[in-house]
Amino acid sequence: MVLRADYKTDLWVDWCPGCGDFGILAAIQKALSELKPKPWQVAIVSGIGCSGKTPHFIYSNGIHTLHGRSIPFATGIKLSNPDLMVIIDGGDGDLLGIGAGHFVALGRRNLDITVIIHDNQVYGLTKGQASPTLQAGIKTKALPEPNIQDAINPIALALTSGYTFVARAFAMDIDHLEEVIKRAIKHKGATVIDVLQPCVTYNDIYTTQWYRKRIYHLEEEKGWNPIVERPEERYEKLGNALSKAWEWGERIPVGVFYEDRTKDTITDRIAQRIPSYYNKPPSKQAIERYGKPLLDDAKFREIFASYLVKVEK
Amino acid sequence: MDEKSSEMRILLGGPQGTGLETASQILAAAYAIGGYRVYSMREYFSNIKGRHSYIGLRVNPEKQPLAPIEGPHIVAGIDAETIFTHFTEAIQDTIIIYDTRVFKTKLRSIASMEKYFRDRVRETLEKSNYDTTVEGALRYASEELGAKSIGLDYQAILNDFSQEIGISKYQAQRYLNTILVATIANITGLSLDELKRGFKRRFGSKVEIIEDNMKLSAIVYKFTADLKDKIKIPTPHHSPDEYLVVNGNEVVAMGKIVGGLRFQSYYPITPASDESFMLETHENLENYVDKSGGIVVLQTEDEIAAISAAIGSALTGARSATATSGPGFDLMVEALGWAGINEVPVVITYYQRGGPSTGLPTRGGQQDLFSALFSSHGEFPRIVISSGDHEEAFYDAITAINWAEKYQTPVIHILDKFLANTTITLELPHLEKIAIERGDLLQAPPPNYKRFKKNGSPIAPRVVLGAENAVIWYAGDEHDEEGHIIEDPINRLEMHELRMKKLEIAHQEIPQEERAVLYGSGEDFLLVGWGSTKGVALEAIELLKREGYKGAYLHLRVFEPFPKEYVAKILSRYKPEKIIAVESNYESMAAKVITMNTGFIFKKHILKWTGRPIYVKELSLATLRILEGLSSREVLSYGA
Ligand SMILES: Cc1ncc(C[n+]2csc(CCOP(=O)(O)OP(=O)(O)O)c2C)c(N)n1
Ligand code: SF4
Ligand SMILES: [Mg+2]
Repeated sequence: MVLRADYKTDLWVDWCPGCGDFGILAAIQKALSELKPKPWQVAIVSGIGCSGKTPHFIYSNGIHTLHGRSIPFATGIKLSNPDLMVIIDGGDGDLLGIGAGHFVALGRRNLDITVIIHDNQVYGLTKGQASPTLQAGIKTKALPEPNIQDAINPIALALTSGYTFVARAFAMDIDHLEEVIKRAIKHKGATVIDVLQPCVTYNDIYTTQWYRKRIYHLEEEKGWNPIVERPEERYEKLGNALSKAWEWGERIPVGVFYEDRTKDTITDRIAQRIPSYYNKPPSKQAIERYGKPLLDDAKFREIFASYLVKVEK
Repeated sequence: MDEKSSEMRILLGGPQGTGLETASQILAAAYAIGGYRVYSMREYFSNIKGRHSYIGLRVNPEKQPLAPIEGPHIVAGIDAETIFTHFTEAIQDTIIIYDTRVFKTKLRSIASMEKYFRDRVRETLEKSNYDTTVEGALRYASEELGAKSIGLDYQAILNDFSQEIGISKYQAQRYLNTILVATIANITGLSLDELKRGFKRRFGSKVEIIEDNMKLSAIVYKFTADLKDKIKIPTPHHSPDEYLVVNGNEVVAMGKIVGGLRFQSYYPITPASDESFMLETHENLENYVDKSGGIVVLQTEDEIAAISAAIGSALTGARSATATSGPGFDLMVEALGWAGINEVPVVITYYQRGGPSTGLPTRGGQQDLFSALFSSHGEFPRIVISSGDHEEAFYDAITAINWAEKYQTPVIHILDKFLANTTITLELPHLEKIAIERGDLLQAPPPNYKRFKKNGSPIAPRVVLGAENAVIWYAGDEHDEEGHIIEDPINRLEMHELRMKKLEIAHQEIPQEERAVLYGSGEDFLLVGWGSTKGVALEAIELLKREGYKGAYLHLRVFEPFPKEYVAKILSRYKPEKIIAVESNYESMAAKVITMNTGFIFKKHILKWTGRPIYVKELSLATLRILEGLSSREVLSYGA
């Protein structure tokens, strides 16, 4: 098998020329090129949408699932093989509309997965309807009338759902995005990167130029330290992150909003109950010997002793 | 029509939350330890406390009962509602045990009773000029049906008890169920020592609870001294040395554990969640398999996530499943199609309950066959297995995962509430007979591995996600050999055909006589059914023998791939008017599936959709009516 240092496949990338998804794809590939996982040690999981095609363009395992369901698919994959590096690419409609329940659930589990939201404020692949991140009152190109539903704040939702690494980046600033992706992958726990992704075809409001004028880097803010090193700092830092989350308009922050290094993950909790879990997760256990079950009659009796009744004649 | 029975049938009733289930578990254990075969079904409302629930116990010294049958020998009620609900079920010599303090209780004061039911009870009593009180109902049972009522002063018994062990009268209330247990034990000839075995079994190391219950039981035995051995069950002669005492949920969980399941995701729903709880209880297998091992059981945020996570797990090579009932399955069908097009071995354990929508959430039915067979858009192969009793359910749980991996396709394993919530004595399975078949699963990929490279053969070698040197893509879109999206017409032509052909292979490989099983050889009539129809059909056939009719039962076990040639052959042996479909639904779904597969059109149907199981005598009578040309379609309704 060949290794490809650039993690690129030979497929033609069929996004509209100029689409922000190209930036996200490049940033992921660059991050992988630096982290150098073997392609079989990575699983890129996506939903449905323009963004959903991402895994096909990356030379590593790719699972292109259903609209909104990338998170539960990825959850089953990661829980059964925690050695895999699992990265999710989903649209804003996918992750925060139809899949919003799963988005919240992943935060609660703090499972070690990196979620990359392709946040273009529209449903790209279905031709430009409003996505849940589009503000009310805005009329993007394809909308017949201005949007009458309020927007979800992905950062705030992630923070309150329990994600332990929450960041925002801009698809057209590939180097910064790559850095954030690397940090997110290295972080142990559920991570979200809300990537502001221009959709050149349907989003004529939030364009690259619009963002360029407004974006600033949190890292450059004096005194900004989002990292929780001790559990006691959690609520203060969460509060700081939340107030930054609502900053939108003339100034839009990108960078890391919150990083909690103190919280255990759901796999840690599983390992407390099944100590061999990390060594022998579900995908790595033998389940038969010469085509027979590992349990024999004696072990069966032992395991299910509480269901067994000895007849006393 | 009645059978001379050597068995004991007990109906225990009371408000939900008063320990009826515990009571039945104690009794079932005590009889099982005595070598009896026990069957214990449970009917309950979608309610936690207060509404009427009841348990139907059958205790048999010789044969394992597998269905409910009319005519309890004992009806024991915690409250007045039990008497009002069940007095009409009494037969000659039924003993009705009631609390003397509810003797004067009026029907209209039973607030927990549903109005329709109360109205019917009132009508029954008034029509025959009985008071609409417990007293009137008991008199009806004795004068019209030949029952005997025995009143006990439950509170007087509890008073003695609370004084003896020094607790308040209020605290003593939670022992009400023990009064019933001990009374029944005494009547049926269990000694106090034999009863104690039941308490020990149920309460294990909680010595104090066992002792307290024994003290109360001793008091009850004194109160009921003149009832001792009143209807003693004959001693069993051929019991095995040990039994499993299990319900349908538990036996499926056992099968999954033996079968190597390592991941189960679920969202809580009746009557499926107990299976997942049981798996979680046994999640740590480190002491049993290779010093390592365990099952990850994940409670998800909904059923969409449950099936999606199970599919994700299966991609990594773990044996995985999810368990649900109708409403949950409805949410799973989109992902079912994803598993179909991506050839993922995943199992859905599907416990039917009364639908549609929330329907009768805690009652049973067989209304989901079409849903299991046909739901989800597009065409893809799926295997659909149905279990008819606990033993089948155990082995089917294993077969389901085997076939999922062998044919690389989702498998739906259908059961129902009747099975899920019925506890029986079951002989231990023989594990050495069980095969674990993983199909064409490669540890390492061959050079240039492509997940869907088929070389003309429908089943491609499978390498799991994460295997060294394998890079794999999956997509819900139509895909090429590598798993990438492709809309090319010729690729579609071939990929789709190869996928669909897997069913043909399964049809050739799996013996048809295992997919439909013929019981008996009587030539007078043929009952055709599936799922828990099996137990009741077999007993009805026995009963009908005494009426001079010899019948057989054709039991459908696998609906996809359907054993069409074999089923057609069996059906052709009978005149069409002697073939009767028996199902717990309105449409006669299995009959329609048979028609679809064989062209045979059913003329006779026995159907029930009240949410209650089919009882042996109502089925026998309905069969008789059909055989005697009195009817073509019988609708059953026995059971409160
Ligand atoms: C269950 C279901 N409903 C609807 C669709 C149609 N659909 C395809 S993509 C899409 C929206 C995509 O928007 P988004 O998730 O934001 O992704 P983007 O294309 O913008 O990257 C929808 C609704 C579908 N595939 N599945
Ligand atoms: S529609 Fe928008 S999101 Fe989709 S590919 Fe085109 S530019 Fe990108
Ligand atoms: Mg979008």
